[in-house]
Amino acid sequence: MSGKPKVAICWLGGCGGCDEAVVDINEAILKVVEAVDLVLWPVALDFKYHHVEAMQDGEIALSIINGHVRNSDQEEVAKLLRKKSQLVLAFGACACFGGTPGMANLITKEDIFDWVYRDAPTVVNPKGNRPQPKFSSDGKELTLPEFYNQVYSLKQIIDVDYYLPGCPPPPDLIMNAVTAVLEGKLPPKGSTLTPHKALCDTCPRNKTKPSRIGIKDIKRIHEIEAEPNTCFLVQGVLCLGPATRSGCGEACININIPCRGCFGPIEGVEDSGAKFVSALAAIIDVESEEDTKRVIDGIDDPVGYLYRFTMPTSILRKKRV
Amino acid sequence: MKHFKPKLVCFSCRFSWGYLAEDAGLSWQTRNWVPVVCSGKIDTTHILSAFKHGADGVLILGCPEGDCHYQDGNYEARKRVYLMQRILESYGIEKERLEIRLSVDPEGKQITHYVKELSDRVAKLGPVKKMIERTESGSAV
Ligand code: SF4
Ligand code: SF4
Repeated sequence: MSGKPKVAICWLGGCGGCDEAVVDINEAILKVVEAVDLVLWPVALDFKYHHVEAMQDGEIALSIINGHVRNSDQEEVAKLLRKKSQLVLAFGACACFGGTPGMANLITKEDIFDWVYRDAPTVVNPKGNRPQPKFSSDGKELTLPEFYNQVYSLKQIIDVDYYLPGCPPPPDLIMNAVTAVLEGKLPPKGSTLTPHKALCDTCPRNKTKPSRIGIKDIKRIHEIEAEPNTCFLVQGVLCLGPATRSGCGEACININIPCRGCFGPIEGVEDSGAKFVSALAAIIDVESEEDTKRVIDGIDDPVGYLYRFTMPTSILRKKRV
Repeated sequence: MKHFKPKLVCFSCRFSWGYLAEDAGLSWQTRNWVPVVCSGKIDTTHILSAFKHGADGVLILGCPEGDCHYQDGNYEARKRVYLMQRILESYGIEKERLEIRLSVDPEGKQITHYVKELSDRVAKLGPVKKMIERTESGSAV
């Protein structure tokens, strides 16, 4: 082993997309691999958690953690890496805000178990078995991780030093983040390693916005043939650009898809959904109570659109049941 | 539910609704009056925070239609309220708990009536359901 800084990459409740994004930095990854000692990367390398357990506290320079936390196993790994690392980077929308899995905070754990072990059309479970955290047989005890009542973002479980949002984060920002760590040129703890502007400020379609947008109807992207250069909001299609952090390289906008908000709230804003409600209210161009109701009732699943990536860190966090 | 006194928060526009927060006769009913310069200034975050911090109902009083001191702050507020009602419902907070009234009443004569109406309606719904805080024991490392 060399004196190179040790780096761990780990997924908790992630889809693998964030790990894939690390690979997507292409040849640059070779440079990174040269500069650091990878000590854990479950998706790609065969290190075990007990290797990490055997390390000194703080021995790992940086842990890059993706995915949300919803069970005791994920929590244990998060806490282990926190203990062994000088810096923890929450990587991707799931780690930063709970991500798309965070939408599960709108239903209960029981709802999920009922569907998965009883109601889904493909389920055959005549005995009605459900996974139990503990099971004894022949005097031996088997355990499974405990499935939690809700989805947590990483910072709700451990102390996080830096954030890199995105679903997944783009290669340029990943390289910037890793380089900043290696060169010790980091902003203050707690920073998000992206530009601090709103997506609208960097979006090429911004210049097509009139000084005052007025829309009479809200449409979904598949209901119109979206004009490829005009601001989506002007076309009456919801686009979360006004309330979302920039830095994605306008990846969705460039393929004619409106922003869904995976970079999370802009600097200083806690709840991007609430922020977007204000922006949206301002451009819905109706006055009477009746028209207001008609337009707003016509929006399909507003909470699903506005909080697609951020429900667990939103002000209300979870459905009350 | 018996003996349930809903906790209400009321945001009122100063132009049409005066400085009612200072009126002792009214403040006993709603302990949380927030006079604002214009109903259009009420941030959606404030509405969410009110519910998060235990409000059972939120009442917003704005200027009458076509009569906002700042042109269309009241319409803006109404649009936000309708949007927020849909969001709140998804979070398990009934939309009837958030109400907006556009009217004028500098002496506050109708206010007791409006507050009572909301209060009665919310009383029927019961207290806002609490978010279940973390119950898992977690794991020690
Ligand atoms: S942020 Fe997106 S890409 Fe990363 S783990 Fe979550 S869902 Fe997958
Ligand atoms: S609303 Fe969307 S399309 Fe319009 S400028 Fe902002 S990011 Fe671009």
